Amino acid sequence: MSNDHGHLNRRRFLGGFAFTSGAIATGVGSWVLRPEWANAAAAPIKVGIATDLTGPIAYAGNADANVAKMVIKELNDAGGLLGRPLELFIEDTASNESVAVGNVRKLIQRDKVDLVLGGITSSMRNAIKDPIVARGKTLYIYPQLYEGKECTPYLFCTGPTPAQQCDEFIPWLIKNGGKKFALPSANYVWPHTLNVYARKVIEANGGEVVFEEYYPLDQVDFSSTVNRIISNKVDVVFNTVIPPGVGPFFKQLYEAGFLKGGGRLACVYYDENTLNINQANEIEGLASCLDYFKTLTKDDPVSAKIQAAYEKDYPGNFLFAAGSAATGTYRGLKLWAAAVKEANSVEREAVAAALDHAKIAEGPGGPAEMVPGKRHCKMKMYTAVAKGGNYEIVGRSDGLVDPKEC
Amino acid sequence: MASAFAAAFEILSFGAIIVLVVLGLGIIASMMGIFNFAQGEFVLLGAYITYLAHARGLPVWAGMAAAPFLVGALGFILEALIIRRFYAAPIVAMLGTYALGLIIRETVRGLIGGLYLSVPEPIGGSIDLGSVHVSAWRFVIIVITALVMVGCYLLLSRTSFGLRIRATLENPALARASGISTAAMYGTTFAFGAALAGLAGALLVPVFSLFADLGIRFLIQGFVAVMVGGVGSFIGPVAGAAVIGTLSAALPWVMAPVVADILVFVLAIVFIKFRPQGLLSGKGV
Repeated sequence: MSNDHGHLNRRRFLGGFAFTSGAIATGVGSWVLRPEWANAAAAPIKVGIATDLTGPIAYAGNADANVAKMVIKELNDAGGLLGRPLELFIEDTASNESVAVGNVRKLIQRDKVDLVLGGITSSMRNAIKDPIVARGKTLYIYPQLYEGKECTPYLFCTGPTPAQQCDEFIPWLIKNGGKKFALPSANYVWPHTLNVYARKVIEANGGEVVFEEYYPLDQVDFSSTVNRIISNKVDVVFNTVIPPGVGPFFKQLYEAGFLKGGGRLACVYYDENTLNINQANEIEGLASCLDYFKTLTKDDPVSAKIQAAYEKDYPGNFLFAAGSAATGTYRGLKLWAAAVKEANSVEREAVAAALDHAKIAEGPGGPAEMVPGKRHCKMKMYTAVAKGGNYEIVGRSDGLVDPKEC
Repeated sequence: MASAFAAAFEILSFGAIIVLVVLGLGIIASMMGIFNFAQGEFVLLGAYITYLAHARGLPVWAGMAAAPFLVGALGFILEALIIRRFYAAPIVAMLGTYALGLIIRETVRGLIGGLYLSVPEPIGGSIDLGSVHVSAWRFVIIVITALVMVGCYLLLSRTSFGLRIRATLENPALARASGISTAAMYGTTFAFGAALAGLAGALLVPVFSLFADLGIRFLIQGFVAVMVGGVGSFIGPVAGAAVIGTLSAALPWVMAPVVADILVFVLAIVFIKFRPQGLLSGKGV
């Protein structure tokens, strides 16, 4: 190699510098959606979305960003909020906490947004909550189902909690599966905390936990686990193993004859996205409990309207599904919009006070309302069973289920 | 008894899967001295081609048959365009192949939308032996792995092509003087290693489903297997893969899986400390 290439001459330096500073100024991975109309009297209200547009869970992050675009457009078409249009700022959290913190700071410091909604994993929420609510003095809405125990002021959660996912679901599993439970789990915070709650509910309803075991997040061979499940004659596998392990795990269970022997699979994050990980016959009868399933559109006109609007604007791979926080995003933005209207301001204290008891009559899966003082959301919950590659609703909560948090 | 048999089968089948992944990696590392960090993505491409065939309504086995040839052809092109320039600098080669792998992986992630997609087995279901059910497809994988292993061994040890490859590895200058085109040999060897990875991906995808990180999942285990087995021969990496695959599948039967995961690597490091040349370094083919 000739030495000339190695030298940093002035032209190369200036060229590189110009490119780098250009990239820093515009921000790689930033998107701004300006409203189609503007009001000379008032500047737009700024909504920030920080979600995983790239990385292993990009399918969920992109769906959330799409939902946000849909809701903001809908609000703008209806005249905006407080007579002001809404402007949407989308930043990538890239499934990487240090990248995320930098990008969230951009939302807070450069764009000066009035609200940040986003984060999918709990580790992401923990990484970005401090830059948003403490140092950033901004309102934060977290839309994903999670393990609970998040009681930070100005942080509102609009996804289901363990109580919402277990209280009605586990008694149903005991009735429609059996009393002997196995809790195979991925080794991180959500399964650990969820299992503590699930075990309590299982035992309170006369069930028994045969074993609770944790696996490395990338484990893909579950032969010893499957063997323990079969030899202990487990009735219900309450699974919190996540992709990529969950596909091979369910397949090995199927091949070992677990379903043939009358066993029941249960997994509370399973939605329309995860159905495709296995062939339909390998997860026949898998039960899940979420705030929304697409099959609800058959008998709930509100859900049907939202689902149709989403699919019209965003056909393709990024589904409107509860497990990827899409429903929580919808609910979060609508509740916030209701709070802004009531507070007649976008100032944080006033909006937080109104959001504390905000309600929406229409949302995916039904109405929703914040529990005053708890910063968590009451919502309807549905139990569904996989049949031939689709879900069938087998249970509905009577009313809105309490999150029982904080 | 039944449970011991099931355990033995499961452990053997996971060992076979690792061997299958490592075959191509080992051939490229041993024969060419290149640690190909894009090998995992060749596995991914094999899996993706199989998925594409299935998605287009073709039979899955057709995709599986096409995958090694298509991935091998891609390997041949990449060797001629890119890898060839790295032979003088193995460290740079690692970075270069890593970059190549990253490009392939993120492209596939874009194409499949970051989702996890199932591909059915051409031979599905389970074989029932009394109270024990073993997966039919895993059994097929064990058989094919054994066949491919024997085939590769015969190719390298018994054919004039194998002789020329080994001559090129042993002493490139003398091989060139004897009229062997070493450039063509390197190209063919790299393509062959890539084709084996493509085959591995095609056979694995029904077991693990298609996702963008499928290849990288096995890459680290693959490299540990090559280190344990010893670089410089065909048999070394294969033996290493058998050891690592068997350990990874067997340890979770006797201890907490989280501990087993780490212990495999600790054992490998300790082994390499005391036997840096590996299990079978440079002996035989």
